[in-house]
Amino acid sequence: MPKLTIDGKNIEVAKGTTLLEAAQQLGIYIPRYCYHPKLSVSGSCRMCLVEVERGPKLVTACSTEAADGMAVLTASDKVMAARRDVLEFLLINHPLDCPICDQAGECGLQDYYMKYSLRKSRFSQEDKVLRQKRRAAGPRLMLDNERCILCTRCVRFCSEVTKTFELEVMERSDHSFIDLKEGKALDNDYSLNIADLCPVGAFTSRDFRFKQRVWFLKKTPTICLGCATGCKIEAHHNENTIYRLAPRPNSETNTWLCDHGRLSYKAVQAGDRLAKGVIKNGLIDLEPALREAATRIDEAKGAVAVLGSPWLSVEDNAALARLAKDAIKTESYCFDLTAEQGIKDGILINKDPAPNTSGVKLVKEALGGISLEELVRRIAAGQFKVVLTEARAALLIKDALKTSGPRLIVFACAKSEIPAGAYATFPYATYFETPGTFVNYQGLRRRTEAPVEAPEGVKPLWALVNKLAAYSGAGLRLDSAEDALKEIIFK
Amino acid sequence: MAFKLSEEFKTKAEKLCAKYPRRDAALIPLLHELQKEAGYVAEEGMDALALFLELPYSRVKAVATFYTMFNREPAGKYHLQVCRNISCHMAGAEGLLERLRAALGIAEGETTKDGLFTLSAVECLGACGSAPVMQVNDDYFENLTGEKLDVILEELKHGKYPSQK
Repeated sequence: MPKLTIDGKNIEVAKGTTLLEAAQQLGIYIPRYCYHPKLSVSGSCRMCLVEVERGPKLVTACSTEAADGMAVLTASDKVMAARRDVLEFLLINHPLDCPICDQAGECGLQDYYMKYSLRKSRFSQEDKVLRQKRRAAGPRLMLDNERCILCTRCVRFCSEVTKTFELEVMERSDHSFIDLKEGKALDNDYSLNIADLCPVGAFTSRDFRFKQRVWFLKKTPTICLGCATGCKIEAHHNENTIYRLAPRPNSETNTWLCDHGRLSYKAVQAGDRLAKGVIKNGLIDLEPALREAATRIDEAKGAVAVLGSPWLSVEDNAALARLAKDAIKTESYCFDLTAEQGIKDGILINKDPAPNTSGVKLVKEALGGISLEELVRRIAAGQFKVVLTEARAALLIKDALKTSGPRLIVFACAKSEIPAGAYATFPYATYFETPGTFVNYQGLRRRTEAPVEAPEGVKPLWALVNKLAAYSGAGLRLDSAEDALKEIIFK
Repeated sequence: MAFKLSEEFKTKAEKLCAKYPRRDAALIPLLHELQKEAGYVAEEGMDALALFLELPYSRVKAVATFYTMFNREPAGKYHLQVCRNISCHMAGAEGLLERLRAALGIAEGETTKDGLFTLSAVECLGACGSAPVMQVNDDYFENLTGEKLDVILEELKHGKYPSQK
């Protein structure tokens, strides 16, 4: 275990630790472009140069292993001068795009220039080597080679993480650039991570381009509901609109975030979001729609089935279970859902596309209910006049519904989700608009936070269930989502 | 028509690969072989080579474009390669290039219409001691001056291969 000092502070680190990592453990920040904790070391940007006492010249902290007795200086005059010089080199050919560059505000060049350089360039605008300006590198990414500083994070990401090997550095010296095979697109399931990885504005997200200046964005930590993996994410939003999602790297689940997950926020702002109730095919206000549905439930006199959904939070599932058990007083409710789970592609994407299959199981364990097969059998046998569920879960019982034709009442976020033949549909708030608890495939309990507010008149699902219960006679008295969670035991 | 590596090439390539601990280590020698066959390394050739070595195409292309000794287009009968690295540059390589551009009427990377000359500026030829240096096909011409260059060019034009002194 090598013992060394960094800026006079003593530290003992595990063998193989680099100077950059050792400094990080002491809370000393060393600037870097090409270094990334989850990618191999490249040592190409030279930004992390530090001084080792009695060493002949400066060394790159990212690629130098800590050795016993080293005395490292990270802020000596020599180091500061080197950082200024490296920045001068990196900026020689960098275009003055900042006013129209999406990266501005979170750009490594801007940040380090302000912190370590603040020197006027000695190279004139005319001397700059021009490279290819923006072009679509793939369906989700723009590439501007002129802004690139050749840190090769993107190249290493494609060869080490996705193993798709699209990118390489072509040519050499000041005419080198990042490129991929002619006619091929940079189109893998994780391509948008490259926009995050890129320390400058060379790779930008086509979805996010020119939508918002990054300094206006507020960040809310939440959870991705794109599949059962349940990655920790951060929603970047401003004035009640989400602009992008980014991963919150953590050791439990994810460093990256897949493109599907990143674009899942689009559903919140989709043009076909429901804001009113739908009875048959006509839009009507929520209150009369709820009363109408409550009447149908009352009429059915207990011949009602309720099905939980892996797309809903534990709270909302529990509210549905209570509605069945305590308000409608039917014993035909099912929260017994299973799905094959596990990472499909070796990176993040789960075999189970629904976010909360494990959470629904907890509701079943606490509140009981029948199995899915039994429910399907009973529906097919025509035992129910009304079936209540969430829109995507209705697909699980599609065939049975067709044979017996009960009145189907569903909860849906968007018009496109409404299953064919639904009798009534109620809009509910997405989990970007209301908090909810989810259990991912590892059994980890995670809570979404609401970065934005639901459109006017759209309520969380548990609140709709509460009203439905009140209108059909036996109130549940749910004042908050947490009320529904009573009796649910999280492991 | 899809480009195919010849059987002869493949046999030679297998022998080369066997010389190295890793198959992909044979990439540069094989690029040389490809160039020997056609006079240049074609895109389709790189593609076929990538498949043959089980490498991503982008890696082959990156290597082929890094080294200036790989031509990516058919070259003329005489490939004039002027070193532009530091020693040659300071010994007047820029002037030589200028002279060649004027004499041949072409820029770097181009070939004369009669197909006789291709002009390139290349990276270090490893002969800094006798800078400035120009390589014509496989031969070096060292300690060049403008006058020497004119003589070489004249002789080449008249189909006479100049002595390397």
